[in-house]
Amino acid sequence: MNLLCRWWSTMRATVKGRIAIFHPQGFLDGNNAPSFLTIDDIHATEALNIDMLLVSLKKVIFFNKNGLDVFIRLLDSIRAHKHIAVGLCDYDSAKFVTINKFYGSNLTFSLFRTEKIAELFVPTNKDDSKTVLLYNEDASQRSAMAIELFDYGHNPVIAQTKKEFEEKKRNPDLYYAIIEETYLGLFGQKIATRVTGNAIIYTIANFLDAEITDTFNIAYHNNSLNVGFRLFIFDAYKVVSMNVHALNFFTKLASSAAEYNASICFVGMTFEKTPQSFKNDLEDAGIMFFDQMEDILKNKELLQELGGSSGTSSKSTRTLTKALIHELPGFIDATVSTIAMMTNAQAIKESMNIQTLEIKNSKEQYASSIGFYGDLDGMIILIFPKKVARKACELLIGEENNEEEAILDSLAEFVNIIGGRAKALLGEKKHRVDITLPRTYANVDSLLEMAQNRKGVQVDLRFEGSSFTFFLTR
Amino acid sequence: MVTQEQITSYIQNIPPAPFVVKQTLDYVRVGDLTKAAKCAEEDHALKFYLRTLVNRPIYGFRNEVSDLAQIFTILGISTAQQILYNYLLSLLAPKEWGLFKLTSQEFYDLQASLSRKWVKVLTHLNLHNHDTESAITLLPASIIVCDALFGEYKSEVTQLRSIKALDYNTILYRLTKMSLFDICTEIGEKWELSPMISRIVHASSGLDQNLDENEKTLAKWMHLLLFYELSQNTYVEAGLNEFIEFQIEFVQDIYESFMQVVEYDESDR
Repeated sequence: MNLLCRWWSTMRATVKGRIAIFHPQGFLDGNNAPSFLTIDDIHATEALNIDMLLVSLKKVIFFNKNGLDVFIRLLDSIRAHKHIAVGLCDYDSAKFVTINKFYGSNLTFSLFRTEKIAELFVPTNKDDSKTVLLYNEDASQRSAMAIELFDYGHNPVIAQTKKEFEEKKRNPDLYYAIIEETYLGLFGQKIATRVTGNAIIYTIANFLDAEITDTFNIAYHNNSLNVGFRLFIFDAYKVVSMNVHALNFFTKLASSAAEYNASICFVGMTFEKTPQSFKNDLEDAGIMFFDQMEDILKNKELLQELGGSSGTSSKSTRTLTKALIHELPGFIDATVSTIAMMTNAQAIKESMNIQTLEIKNSKEQYASSIGFYGDLDGMIILIFPKKVARKACELLIGEENNEEEAILDSLAEFVNIIGGRAKALLGEKKHRVDITLPRTYANVDSLLEMAQNRKGVQVDLRFEGSSFTFFLTR
Repeated sequence: MVTQEQITSYIQNIPPAPFVVKQTLDYVRVGDLTKAAKCAEEDHALKFYLRTLVNRPIYGFRNEVSDLAQIFTILGISTAQQILYNYLLSLLAPKEWGLFKLTSQEFYDLQASLSRKWVKVLTHLNLHNHDTESAITLLPASIIVCDALFGEYKSEVTQLRSIKALDYNTILYRLTKMSLFDICTEIGEKWELSPMISRIVHASSGLDQNLDENEKTLAKWMHLLLFYELSQNTYVEAGLNEFIEFQIEFVQDIYESFMQVVEYDESDR
């Protein structure tokens, strides 16, 4: 890419969950757009572990095609080799019309009217199916979006006509989001992922071949294993057949899952056009087959057995290693310094014990966790009294915001910073690790279920007169 | 990160306006440009600043102008006052920028460009007077303050911004309950600038309520002008595009007129 040869950063994408977004402000034209992205910025963007890369037009008052093209070229190049979805977001109706005028039928990238809408098209760690109202004049776009939304675990209410859409739109409270002026371009072709309870469901379709290594998000899968998910279901109703490369892929996936006592299941897979011997091979590798999704999800005993009810089903717990304990001061330092950065207040260590996680008064607490894996693996869990969590996140959400969802989102961002710092710290000692997506818990009991029986180091810390808990485990 | 104590110490350390500059300003305000020029002669740094600035291409003089009396006459009362305030601000600017990738020259160019375009804006709005013209000079103080306060926390801010698109002004306010524009007001008071100047600059953050009609108009135009300038290559590369949050709704209704006033030509972009 022929952009200016400068080696410092001018604009970095902000990462939330699996989406990275650039936020340029003001005017965007062919003269200034290359200045927003240095080579360093481009490399940093390419290195991100994400499923979607977007440019927000929320704060752009003027743009022309030359300006947008600079960003679109970057987006296209990243989509081509990372198989992620790319596009623009946060625009009003006038901007939407202008973008369509610029690119017309050559629109290869996606358009999401808001960031909130874009988030519906990527995997998350949350089990929260959203009901959304959907309309697009183009029937094929309508269907494509509905399928994607459904595959990501949401409940799209599809308006077939503009009139029907306008009528339904009159009751906005019924919907989490109203999807209009949105367009799915060449999508990332990643396998859709959704979370149900403690199970992760991947939707696979058509012919499964060597390409699955590109389209299956292995980083997300590893993330999920590391943060405690133990049941992975492949929704294979739409699979026509698989070849030997796909077979090898799934057997390898099954052996890595076995290390975590995780279960992998296929649902709805027929072997009409796939050799029956493949099924035997997959079963030998530990993969189970079911006809219907309900056979698993509605069978509590089976769910418990497979690991999809909670962490309690883990057949064995992994013990802390010497190497991990050796790095403990660094992890605590990352936590304390992040709190200092976010609040200008000092957190002080009060006590430290090797024990199973113990939380008093769990109803009044929020928790968040982040895992890391690679040369070392483990999980950092933070448990805050609700008031302290609010205070710790004030820099991220502002004083005025008291909504639980915003606080939990910010807690996720908070542990993400800690995870990033821990990663950098381990990197300095030549330990290469990746961090997982953060996970938050409005109900700490579900965390306790997941973490019970796991021994770890529990550190009680004090911050602005209140205690909070740091727990390091595997 | 930045604390209230750090802000207090920063404000305490803002130097008062030098005596010669104050006196020159007094002569300018009463319209005695000859005495103003004579007075300015006593301050070599000021003399050098005026000569260099006025002869920069942005002022468009064909021949070099070196005589101070001539300079003051060419500038006129309002512009002379504006340039003297710009000089005051340049005294506050760091020799080495820590947070933003700016050179002194680029900062002076920003001051000059803002000032020139602001005059066009005021002419368009028919709100021209000594104070409104000088108001623009205090605006870049927000950039200087931001660099001074956040320079040593660059990596922390980068980390924070990697997870949330927060601008420096919001970060500062949430940490200390003081905004960059509050600190600009303190600077204005210390230099005995007209309170109207401080009010307009404060409102140009786009976040103030209860403004009178003229102040609101000026604040809108100043906010959009700032982002127009911060969208230029040099300032985007300097990292200034993200320093405060662009309040797009605040300026939406003046956007068309603004593009005409700054003579924005899309065809060559």
